[in-house]
Parts: sequence; structure tokens; C-alpha cells
Amino acid sequence: MIGIALRRLGWSIVVVWFVVTATFVMVSAIPADPGKAMLGPHATPDAIAKVNALYCLDQSLAVRYGCWVDNLASGNLGESYRSKRAVTAILADRVWPTLQLALAAILLQLLIGVPLGVLAAVRKGRWPDRAASVFGLLGQSAPTFFVGTVLLYLVAYRWEVLPIGGYGEGGWDRLRHLVLPAMTLATVGVAYYARMVRTELAETLTEDYVRTARAKGLPERAVVLRHALRPALGPLVTLVGLDLGVLLGGAVVTEAIFAWPGLGRETLQAILDVDMPVILGVVVVSAIAIAIANLVVDLVQLGLDPRLRDR
Amino acid sequence: MRPLVPLLVVATIGCNAPDRGPRWRETAATTPRDGGVLRFASQERIRTLDPAIAYDEVSIYALHHLLDTLVDYEPAGTRLAPRLAERWELSSDGLVYHFWLRSGLAYGDGRPLIAADFEFSLERVLRMPESPFQAMLADVAGVQDVIAGKATDCAGITAIGVRELEIRLARPNAAFLYVLAMPFAAPLRADHLATAGDRIRAMPLASGPYEVGTWDEGQRLVLRRRAHYHDRSRQHLDGIVLHEGVARDTQFLMFERGELETAERLSAPDYLWITQQRAWAPYVHTQAVMNVFGSRMNVRVKPFDDRRVRQALNYALDRRSISKLLNGTAVPAHGMLAPGAFGRDDSLAPYPYDPEKARALLREAGYPAGFSVQYVTLANEEAEKLAASLQHDLAKIGVRIEISLMSGPTYETAVRKPDGPAFSFTSWLADFPDPTSSLDPRFHSRGIADENASNDSFYNNPELDQLLDAARAEPDATKRAAMYRRAERILYDDAPWIWGYHQVTTEVRQPYVRDYRPHPMWLRDYTSAWLDLVDGEPVLR
Repeated sequence: MIGIALRRLGWSIVVVWFVVTATFVMVSAIPADPGKAMLGPHATPDAIAKVNALYCLDQSLAVRYGCWVDNLASGNLGESYRSKRAVTAILADRVWPTLQLALAAILLQLLIGVPLGVLAAVRKGRWPDRAASVFGLLGQSAPTFFVGTVLLYLVAYRWEVLPIGGYGEGGWDRLRHLVLPAMTLATVGVAYYARMVRTELAETLTEDYVRTARAKGLPERAVVLRHALRPALGPLVTLVGLDLGVLLGGAVVTEAIFAWPGLGRETLQAILDVDMPVILGVVVVSAIAIAIANLVVDLVQLGLDPRLRDR
Repeated sequence: MRPLVPLLVVATIGCNAPDRGPRWRETAATTPRDGGVLRFASQERIRTLDPAIAYDEVSIYALHHLLDTLVDYEPAGTRLAPRLAERWELSSDGLVYHFWLRSGLAYGDGRPLIAADFEFSLERVLRMPESPFQAMLADVAGVQDVIAGKATDCAGITAIGVRELEIRLARPNAAFLYVLAMPFAAPLRADHLATAGDRIRAMPLASGPYEVGTWDEGQRLVLRRRAHYHDRSRQHLDGIVLHEGVARDTQFLMFERGELETAERLSAPDYLWITQQRAWAPYVHTQAVMNVFGSRMNVRVKPFDDRRVRQALNYALDRRSISKLLNGTAVPAHGMLAPGAFGRDDSLAPYPYDPEKARALLREAGYPAGFSVQYVTLANEEAEKLAASLQHDLAKIGVRIEISLMSGPTYETAVRKPDGPAFSFTSWLADFPDPTSSLDPRFHSRGIADENASNDSFYNNPELDQLLDAARAEPDATKRAAMYRRAERILYDDAPWIWGYHQVTTEVRQPYVRDYRPHPMWLRDYTSAWLDLVDGEPVLR
């Protein structure tokens, strides 16, 4: 078990390294000169050369890469070209809002998606099932900007139930600000989780051991919740882990609509500015988040299903 | 499908158009009252509060309230007036500015604000290669030595005692005072910089009416009234809050709900809606911005080396349709200088829309069948719309453009060199309302370079160069204005750009925000505003 875990960990490190290096090469290939972007149109070639030297931009790609990796090893991700702020400080500010949003979205996906899926599976072919299918279709196909805008308009603006945008002051106020972006982000996931639970559970409900349980005279609720649901939830663990990894990379559209100060908006701005240190910093964080999520999912699955350990 | 019915009903009720006139009103009060917090938002985020670096619009919104300079614009105009300087004199040769500071000036901590603080902050800019403002001080004697690292003190900037400052220029520059009105020229104390270190980007030394309360970067900047400020009439508000990174649609909803006191840069539907509501009319302000949008051509490259081709393209552009496309938030341009700018020739009308004349000019120039060319523009909604409109207009005279989209920094790098794309979108925002801030960089041959050319149409006209140089040095404003009018006419005829339009910005305020209108240079200037509140709350309509 420990051997497998270490092997997976090793692969995760390789993947993170590969992603970060590929990003470094790609961003370096963008024909944009940060010195010019920083100094604006009045800058003389001398001034641009000085700034480029200040940020090692006059060196070869290999030297710059070496310099960056060297700094990375000591936890220094450099400073943003545009704001002159340390990238680690920028990321530290952005990761927590993103984490709150990601966790809230996953929680909503589970709390709404799983019961909906169970209901659809148990009432297969009847109206709850059909309603869940329609909801699933809508939820999965409605674009985030549409769902977000509609929620914002109705819930926050018209009904004045929740605040319109922003991050809130903390505590209860933060929670109120979190609801709409989390719901927006969770819409696709709810629909997806519901469909998956429905399919898995419907299949499990036809298994022999379920028939045995029913034959024993167990009430239907116990049959479904205690015997059929647990094995049907296996794939959900994988999904939750992967979703969490992806959501930690930030949710650009949702964050933009609700003025949520997460990683997504930071990334978008950095890409538009070709602010290389920030882009690389975000990629490092996201790659590590996804790798950790994958690793945890793998380990949990190993724990849950002993058959996997022999592979 | 039955369960969907209630949902649809709820959604329909929710979408009925609400009554959206102002919820609050102003009272009969006419004397400004102190108190209250004014909240506004911006789509962009503040990059930095270090004035030596900050060059973007939103950072300047904040810095304008935090920092005072020797001189500043009048409350609603573009004429300069004393601010921290009580008065100044210019020597007869136009080279030496002598400033006298007001007496009793102090920072928030009670320590005196002295002439040496201006010297320190200007010299700091000269020592920072990453400051975009070095070029603006280029006319000051001795700056090159500091920039090159040969000297630490700038020979041309001298504090005399506590209250006098002398700035000596190497060559006359009639627009130099405007440079001193920019936030980077605000005073700074050496000990503050030493204490702040790298955190100077978040803790500027407040010399203006407000100081930084808190700044949650990327979310919210809170300013509060500062102590020991010399002019109480510029700090009626207890505080100002700037919400960063709020989308335009969201801003307007927040405004209507009363979560913001003002909203600006409205999106098209909100703009159209509010400008049609009579109840809102007194609270909607429009302000022409000192910018210009158009398309620049590299005049060294065929077919743009022929003036007739450039004029033809100007005749082919339907500026009225651009104005419609932008919901009337644009004034057609005849050149670079925006309405209200010094030296603008108001008798010049924009090129009329005349495809027939355009085709005739193309025929004369030897392009009877038109031509095909690549057109580079920025990947943003407005620039893309404009490019599509241009493509449509030019197609009518046989000029086929292939649109290529680029991000900002990529575009800047590609366009500003002689062998880059010959035809592209362009825009310019003047740093101050004087032609030296726009005509000189964009059309003087000094701006031509192999890399990062500010004159990126590579337009080289000795007559214009002479005119611009003479106007820059001319102390007589009337003579100067006449020179710039001539320069405008030359550029109009030579047409190195397709002159597009000047932007008009719209800002809407709550009725209880009093004595406010957008400033032509600062745009968002809340130093004269006060909140008409009763018991700390706005009065319902």
C-alpha cells in the first residue's frame, strides 16, 4: 500500500513539473515584451532594456528557466510585472476565497445532486425521474454566465434576499455573499451528480443482494439507503476529488459576475497582461491542487476497494 | 412537466419590469454637510498605490484622493490652479519655475510637508527604471545624469529652505506645469519610504484629503478623511470605498439597490435605459474623455505611403454608424485633440462619409479595384465591434481587411515597430489636456524608433516637427494655440490615421450625492462631493 502511494506521489511530482515547464515555455513564446507593457508608450529603448535586465528578461530561455526553478525551490515565485507585488502574496490572498467557493459548490452538488439522483432512481420512469432528467439537461447545458446572471437578477436584485456581489466582511456576511456564486458554480455539478447517482443506483437496485434484502422484508428506505446507495457512491468519490482540483484553479466566469476575489479573475487578468510570474504561480498552485486531489482520490479508492491494490 | 409550471410562474413574476426611478432623494439643504461614506466600484483592479509606478486609470482614481501636488486642475475644468503651492513664478526665459508652498502644510501624522519632499519624490522616479514617468521629466536639467546613475541628486530640482522649490528646465516646455499635477509628482518623505520598504505600493504617504484606511487587494480600498489637511472643504466625506473588479452589469444592479453611490461606464442596456428615464435625468452626467480612438497606418508602407489612399479610407468610414454602435457615447473625431483640449481647431469637421469620393481617390492613387490588407486589433468587445464596422465600410470601396486579434501586450509589441503590421486599431489617452501629451509622442519624428515607437505611423514631416517644437517652447498661449491649430490641419490633410472618435463617459449618482460631477481629467473626483443624509441615512423618495 505504501509502495503504491509513493509511486503515485512520484508521478504527481513529475506531472506538476511537466505542466509548469510546458507553461513556462509557452508563455515565453508569446511575442510580448513585459518591459514595454510596464513602461508604456513613452519609454525609450534604454529604459526598456534596463527593466528587462531587472527581471532577467534579457537572458536566454534556459537561463531564465534555471533562475525561476532556483527561486521556486526556495519558495520565491517572483513579483508581478504589473503590480510589483510578490506572487506568493497574491496567491495567498486569492487561494482562500477560491477554496471557500470550491468547497461550498461541492457541498451543494452533494447535498442537492445525490438526493435528486436517489429520487430519480427510486421513482425511475415516473415524474420525479423525468423532472430530474429535465433539470439535469438544463443544468448541464445552461452556461454559467446565464445561470449566474439570472440568479443575480432574481434572488439578489429583485427579491433582495442576498447581496449582489463582493466578498463580504466575514462570518455570516461572508456566507450570504457566498451562496449565489456557489449555487452558480454548482449548477452543472448538481445535474451531473444527479444523473450519475441515478444511473449507478438504478443499476445497483437490480442486483441480487438488493433482491435478497427486499426478500428479507426490509423496508424500501433501508434497502435503498443502507444497501444499494453505498456501492453506488463509489464513482462519486472520484468525481468529487477531481472537481475539487479543477475548482481550485478558479472559476473565471462566476468570480467575474459576483466580484468574488478568487484565483480565476487573477488568472484571467494575468493572461491578458502577459504577466508571466503570476501566470506561472497560478499554474503551479492549480497543478499541485489537481495532483493532490488525484492522489487523494487514488488513495481513498485503494482504501475502499482492496481489489485495486493488486493491480 | 407539471412541476415546471410554478417555476415558470415565479420566473415570469420576477422578470416584470420594476419601477426603477431613484429610491432616494435630496433634501432642501444647500450647505455642504460632513459625514457619510461614498462607495463606488470599478471593473478593473488597482494595480498599485505607488505613484511612481501607477499609470492605470483605477489606481489614479484612488491616488487622486490620496495625494496632492504643487498644482492641480480647477474643480470642473482643465485650467491649473494652486494646490500645495501657494503661488509660482516662471522666469522670463521660460526655464526656471519657482514655487512657494502654503504655510502650515502637514501630513496625517502631523509632521510638516516641506519642499525637500518634492525633490525626494521626483528624484526617486528618476532612479527607478521601472517608472513610466521618467520620460515626462526629460526636459528638467540634469535628469539624464540621474537616470544614467551618474548622479543621485538632480541638478535641476532644488529645495530652498522649507517652503520654496525651484525646478530648472534644460529647454522650455510650456506644458511642464501639467506634469507637476500628475500624482507621481506628489511629495514623499525619505523616512516614510524607508519604513514602508516594499509595502510602499500599499501605503502611499497621504498628502491629499484622504488616507488609506484598509486595502484588501483585489477587493476593496477604504479611504478615510485624514487629519491635518489644509483645506477642510475638500474632505466632506468620512470615507470613500472603492470596490475593485466588479463587472459593469453587477455595478449597476448594486447602484440601484443602494450599495453604491455612483456608477460609471454603464453597459449598453443600462445606459440606454437610464438615459431615457426622466426621473434619473438630473443625476446622469456625461463627460468627454481626453482620448481618441481610430486606426493608424504605417505611412512608409504601400499602399499607405500615398496620402490619397489614407484620405480615401477616412472618407470611407461612416462615423455616424460608430456613434450608433456605441449608443451615442462617442463624438466623431477630426484629429487627436478631444473637445475641450487646448489648441484644438473646432472649425475642422470630421471627414464626411463619402464612399464616392473615397473610390475616386483610390482610382487616382492607382488602386481602382481596392486592395486587401491585414488589420490588427485588440481582443476586446469594443475594439472587435469597431473592426467589424470598419471592415463593412471599407468593403464598400473595395478595400478588404482581414481582422487579426491580439492581447494588449502582444499588440503593443507587434505594432510599435516599422516592420510590424501596417494597419491597426489605435487609441490614445492624454496624460494632460495639452497637445504636447498627444501630438508630440504620436506624430513628431522624435517618436520614431525601431522598437516601441510612440509615433507608430512613422509619420515624418519636418514642417510639423518644427511647428510642434516651436509650440512646445512658446510662452504665449494665444500664439501657441494658433500653432496647434495649424498642426491639426496638417495632420487632418495628411491623415496618418483614420480619425475615429472621442469617448464620452456616463456616470450616474444617487440624488443624495451632492455637488458632484465627473472631472474632465480625473473623471472620478469626490473631493468636492458631500452626502445629503438625515440621521446618517438617505431620505426615501
